[in-house]
Amino acid sequence: MNEPLPSPAPEELLRPVAHLRLKAAALLLLTLALIVGSALYLLYARGAFEPTQPLVLTTDDSEGVSVGMDMTFSGFPIGRVRRIELAGDGNVRILVDVAQRDAHWLRESSVFTLVRGLVGGTAIKAYSGVLTDPPLAAGAERPVLRGDATAEIPQLMATARQLLDNLQQLTAQESALGATLAQVRQLSERMNAPGGALGVLMGNEADARKVLQTLERTNQLLARIDAMAARADRQVFGAAGAPGLVPELRAAVVQMNGLLQDARQSLLRVDAVLAEAQAVGANAREATTDLGALRAQVEASLRKVDGLVNEINRKWPFARETELQLP
Amino acid sequence: MFPYDGPMTTGLYPASLPRRAWALAVRWALAWWRIIDLGAVVLVLLLSPSSYRPAARERLARRMLADTAPILLGFTALAALLSLVITHIVVVTALSYGLTRYALEMVIRVLVLELIPLTAALFVAMRTTIPSGVQLARLRQTGRLQALRERGADPVRMELLPRVLAGVHASITLAALSCAVALVMAYLGVYGFNTAGLPAYTRMFGQVFTPSITLVFALKTLLFSLAVALIPMASGLYPPHPGAAQDQTGQGGLARMFAVLLLIEAVSLMGNYY
Repeated sequence: MNEPLPSPAPEELLRPVAHLRLKAAALLLLTLALIVGSALYLLYARGAFEPTQPLVLTTDDSEGVSVGMDMTFSGFPIGRVRRIELAGDGNVRILVDVAQRDAHWLRESSVFTLVRGLVGGTAIKAYSGVLTDPPLAAGAERPVLRGDATAEIPQLMATARQLLDNLQQLTAQESALGATLAQVRQLSERMNAPGGALGVLMGNEADARKVLQTLERTNQLLARIDAMAARADRQVFGAAGAPGLVPELRAAVVQMNGLLQDARQSLLRVDAVLAEAQAVGANAREATTDLGALRAQVEASLRKVDGLVNEINRKWPFARETELQLP
Repeated sequence: MFPYDGPMTTGLYPASLPRRAWALAVRWALAWWRIIDLGAVVLVLLLSPSSYRPAARERLARRMLADTAPILLGFTALAALLSLVITHIVVVTALSYGLTRYALEMVIRVLVLELIPLTAALFVAMRTTIPSGVQLARLRQTGRLQALRERGADPVRMELLPRVLAGVHASITLAALSCAVALVMAYLGVYGFNTAGLPAYTRMFGQVFTPSITLVFALKTLLFSLAVALIPMASGLYPPHPGAAQDQTGQGGLARMFAVLLLIEAVSLMGNYY
């Protein structure tokens, strides 16, 4: 162990490093710069150099909300949660720092929601429907609406189970659907059989045959009606040999026209006769006026005759005693 | 000079089990006590201005340069490669599960917070401080430390302090540089060569590094560097315990260093996630 000649340590043999102080200082500076730079970047990343304005959101449950989480607007983070505290009325107050350069997105009418998804954390979102509203004041207090995807799961499960039960009942062996399907199959078999759909409609084969017979007879009837129509056509409009009804009718109309002409002339004559009759009437009226005078004269003459007769009767010797003599 | 007679005689007579257990416990306690004691001494020396006199500064500067500069580039390249590969793996896996939103955060947490500081500390231990410890042991064995002591100098201040400081500095520099490189590589791995994702990336970085996590991270890095720099020196400075024949190569010191690193890592994980 006692080495007579202690070998010098390896570093003793090294020559002095050139610019040792400078290099060491540079190295120290590098370390310092790295640490200070990291610290500054961290402060910047945590928003230490950014002017903010406070916003208070109130809710009844702060589950999932953590300090430092983002508040987003249209998917862009515009603020972060600084503090969560319990208010005197049992509600939760979430203090959010909104960056001042993004604060103009928040308006008086803005709505805030707290959404909890199935996967991932809770998110606070802001919605501004009317961007022309006055901007939200610093320190404003707003309620936050909560939407919870997981809260609906039990309800969803119950509904889904009910649906599955119904489906199971529907598809069971003795279900109404099964019976209906069996009947549909029967029906389609009958439709494929001779008689087909008609047989299905009428119920039995005899009736179906009757329908067929009816159809055939209807066919025959139609043929006969067709023949009749042809005949009537011939009679009405005439054929090659015999003139039809229409030409005769046309001749009759021509004759009728002549007759009407004659009738018109006769009427003209009647008109003249009537004019004459009118003149006769006028004369007669005049005569009637003269007759009045005549009648008056006749009446006067008669009255004179009557007086004369009366005179004669009185004077006439063998006139009958007309007066009764009382004893 | 060296008390070899005692252990030789105990080695001849096999000791009983309680006696051996007791000897083991004493050795174990002594080793840990030496580390703690040396740590306290070094901390006091670190804080005392007399350690930074021009002569000491010269030694310190040379030691620091010799310990840090050669491994800086190599380790930075290694960290860049490692972070690029891990980022790629995590992002591709997250993409297949539709969880890309959380991929980057996971990369930063895994790489920057956990992997890189530990890797940096281990790298410094292997490349710098363990060889320094061996050097110190050789100086002790060759009697140079004793010679210094006889000349009235303090071997701790002359030989040990520059090595410890250089180790601490190397460890912190490597951790800081490789963390920065890992951050850049993670960004490049996800967003490519453009600045479009920079605001979102910065914001996410800010969300990962909350004050408590930052504090735990800084403390962890500092403690890692101290453990890595101090423990190999302690096992090099003091002679191995007479009872431990296998301790001459510093294996015990190595094991203790790994144990301390593991403990720091476990405590930091508990601090971050519980």
